[in-house]
Amino acid sequence: MAFALQVLIDGLSLGSFYALAALGIGLLFGVLKLINFAHGAFITFGAYALILPSAATEATLGIGALPAIPLVILIVGVVVALALLSEFAVFRPLRDSSPATLMVGSFALGFVIQNLIIMIYGGRPKAVGLWSDLSAGVTLMEGVSVPKLQLIIIGVTISLMLALVFFLKKTRWGIHMRAAAEDFRMARMLGVKADLVIMLAVAISGMLAAAVSLLYVVQTGILDFRMGVPMMLFAFIATVVGGMGSLVGAVAGGFAVGMLSILLQTFLPSDIRAYRDVFVFLVVIVVLLMRPQGLFLSSAVRERV
Amino acid sequence: MEPNSPFQRTLREFWPLLILSALVTAVVVIIQAFGDPIVSRSLTEALIRLVVVVALFIFIGNSGLMSFGHIAFMMIGAYATAWQTMPVMTKGIFAPGLPEYLLQNSHHWIPATLIGGVAASVVALVAGLALMRLSGIAASIGTFAFLMVFYSFYLQWSTWTAGQSSLVGLPMTTTPWVGLVFSLVAIAVAFFYARSRFGLALRASREDAVAAQASGVNVQVQRLIAFVVSAFLCGLAGGLYGHFLGLLTVDTFYLPLTFITIAMLVVGGMNSLSGAVVGTLFVSFAIEILRVLERGVTVGVPVKLPANSAEVGLGIILLLVLIFRRTGITRNQEIYWPWKPVVSVSSVTRRQS
Amino acid sequence: MLEVRDLHVQYGRLVALRGVSFSIAEGEIACIVGPNGAGKSTTLLTVSGVLKPTRGEVIYDGKPISGLSPEAIAGLGVTQVPEGRHIFTGLTIEENLRVGAALRRDRDETRKDMERIYETFPILGQRKTQAAGKLSGGEQQMLAIGRALMSRPKLMTIDEPSLGLAPKIVDRVYEVLTELRASRGLTLLIVEQSSERALKAADRLHVLRNGEMQLSGRAADLKDGAEVHKAYFGFTKEHSGEVMI
Repeated sequence: MAFALQVLIDGLSLGSFYALAALGIGLLFGVLKLINFAHGAFITFGAYALILPSAATEATLGIGALPAIPLVILIVGVVVALALLSEFAVFRPLRDSSPATLMVGSFALGFVIQNLIIMIYGGRPKAVGLWSDLSAGVTLMEGVSVPKLQLIIIGVTISLMLALVFFLKKTRWGIHMRAAAEDFRMARMLGVKADLVIMLAVAISGMLAAAVSLLYVVQTGILDFRMGVPMMLFAFIATVVGGMGSLVGAVAGGFAVGMLSILLQTFLPSDIRAYRDVFVFLVVIVVLLMRPQGLFLSSAVRERV
Repeated sequence: MEPNSPFQRTLREFWPLLILSALVTAVVVIIQAFGDPIVSRSLTEALIRLVVVVALFIFIGNSGLMSFGHIAFMMIGAYATAWQTMPVMTKGIFAPGLPEYLLQNSHHWIPATLIGGVAASVVALVAGLALMRLSGIAASIGTFAFLMVFYSFYLQWSTWTAGQSSLVGLPMTTTPWVGLVFSLVAIAVAFFYARSRFGLALRASREDAVAAQASGVNVQVQRLIAFVVSAFLCGLAGGLYGHFLGLLTVDTFYLPLTFITIAMLVVGGMNSLSGAVVGTLFVSFAIEILRVLERGVTVGVPVKLPANSAEVGLGIILLLVLIFRRTGITRNQEIYWPWKPVVSVSSVTRRQS
Repeated sequence: MLEVRDLHVQYGRLVALRGVSFSIAEGEIACIVGPNGAGKSTTLLTVSGVLKPTRGEVIYDGKPISGLSPEAIAGLGVTQVPEGRHIFTGLTIEENLRVGAALRRDRDETRKDMERIYETFPILGQRKTQAAGKLSGGEQQMLAIGRALMSRPKLMTIDEPSLGLAPKIVDRVYEVLTELRASRGLTLLIVEQSSERALKAADRLHVLRNGEMQLSGRAADLKDGAEVHKAYFGFTKEHSGEVMI
């Protein structure tokens, strides 16, 4: 029982990262039909924004030295600004292109951002201590002690998701965004302000990336120019498993992939355990072949892949 | 010369093949004439990438499907070749899991590279049976997942691939001339494939899958053929790459190389063989210039760009091409016989595509 | 109210409209009929600003609008019920109507308009929290019209309202449209393939074929149909056998 709870919390907190990243990717796919390969770079950029620009091996906190509230606001602001800049410079000029062109475009964008980070900060990983007191354990029940951080990650993820659901279901702009995601041209003919809706979606996607940046740095304590990439790759898997273009699917997919990873990690024999990622990526191909609409949603398929 | 003599007609027909081969050969001859060893190494690398980009063209250009997975074939070919050619002594240390026969023997690089190519195409055949059923975005994601599967697998398969570290001691046999020969072979394969009924059928399915199917083209099979042929060339390129570097690391065959080769194809124009060749030459040249500037030069005033300027520059070039000239440098057209307007049905259809 | 002058529209190299002109007076029901591929939908999409003309212009209330974005044109009171209805299937019925009111800020009035639409189409009111994708074809057509009405349009364009619907439901749709003109003074531009159905409802009829306007006239003057037939098919009934290939 205690062991099951431990595994569950591990799975949920890992799944939280994937779900947040998948939401960011899924939102842009829904509205722009864009598979954003630059999302990982957004995440990395948000993490590096914590420290002062320098190629030194020692990291000096910049924004990261501020109290929590201004820190979060600034980091979110930086990533949102980067996302909006990407929208103006890259996504908007490419808006009418084929999905494949958009994919290559975002791939290029991610490549540019990642290499700019190396250019400014150097290529070596750096250690960063941010809110390290959060790693202290909390005893949930007899024999189950988890880092406070894991609970915070799960809590933040669930709150952000609820906020997003509220925004999409109940607010004027949220409804416009869903309408635009489903039928862009029709929405415009009804007077939905297309450019604004897209900017809003891009900004929210940036916000979600910033959340991942912060939580991930607090958890790992390391900055690495590649750090966003695995996060993004697993988020892709989550969106495919959940059904491309479905936000509920993206979240469910994120948690499913997180749980699956932890379960494989826990229960696979040790000589196969190393190949965990191979299995996870194979799942993508199998899902694409068997159920291209995703595993969870049988009806309301929004986007044919 | 008679304007319509059989000789001239043949010349016209094979003109893209001839001019592209001549172009690549001329570049190699000129650069080799200077004899700078550093430039010569960059040239070899560019020629190996040319093989990959031409292979990408065979699949992407003819099928219209984007593939992010071809670098996996390069990796499969590279390791398959290295397992044969590495000196027996180092094999036992770095790849102790190899079968007894491979551990005890070492082969010449030419047959080994060919076998590497075959290995890649066998994997392509099996994987393609599944992947080629996908279309559009799903196909792109599928090939991407394919790359990730093999990358993750090779990274962990340490008794064969040395995992996170490297296989070392590969004979460094890939010279610019070897690169040239393989590039010319790749260009010829792509040229003749595109002219074959397979290439035609696949391009027809790219333009209109339903119509092509209605006229009896099995799109899946046609895609699979292109996939296997391009995987074979990528496998060869992988073998060459190992014998160019002298060592193999799984990380070599990952996203950056995927990115560079796709960038080369798109910058040149992804629907034409000329685009693949011109794009590779252009991007290689641009990278080389940026690398020189990164090291620092003095042109009147000292110029020194920060590290990784080449990558940033390449990314920006690709974005500019995507935004302002989507059809690439060649506008997706082949380089045609320039002196007299050619009016034949095949050239007209090709110009439009 | 709306004047279309010498409109030329191209899809790439394909010419869809070559010099189409017509005008609509306020409060009128105008109908454009024509065979498949005549350029009817192209005309409506150009009026809505989705397509840009290569030549000619669209003048609405005395001002040229052909350079404006679709959302700006919607803001001027021109709304469209497109071919295939294009309702947002993943949104609820109520949300569809709210998107229809995208340009409005007057919450209370919007709410009242929504109630009025539920009165006109009771089935929509009964199922307002359901996903719109679950509605039948006829109900979806009602929703598309209701959604368009939410913007309080002055001019509503409708692309093939009878497409894929049973004759009884088509009658109901036209009944509603005629009522709307009477109750709200709405100006309507309807596009149809079948000219008979359109002739009954329209004040003015335009026949479009091959991207050119073949015939324009008061529907009352065209009742006998021979002229319309010739404009529609390009040959008269008597000679049809010879001209047809």
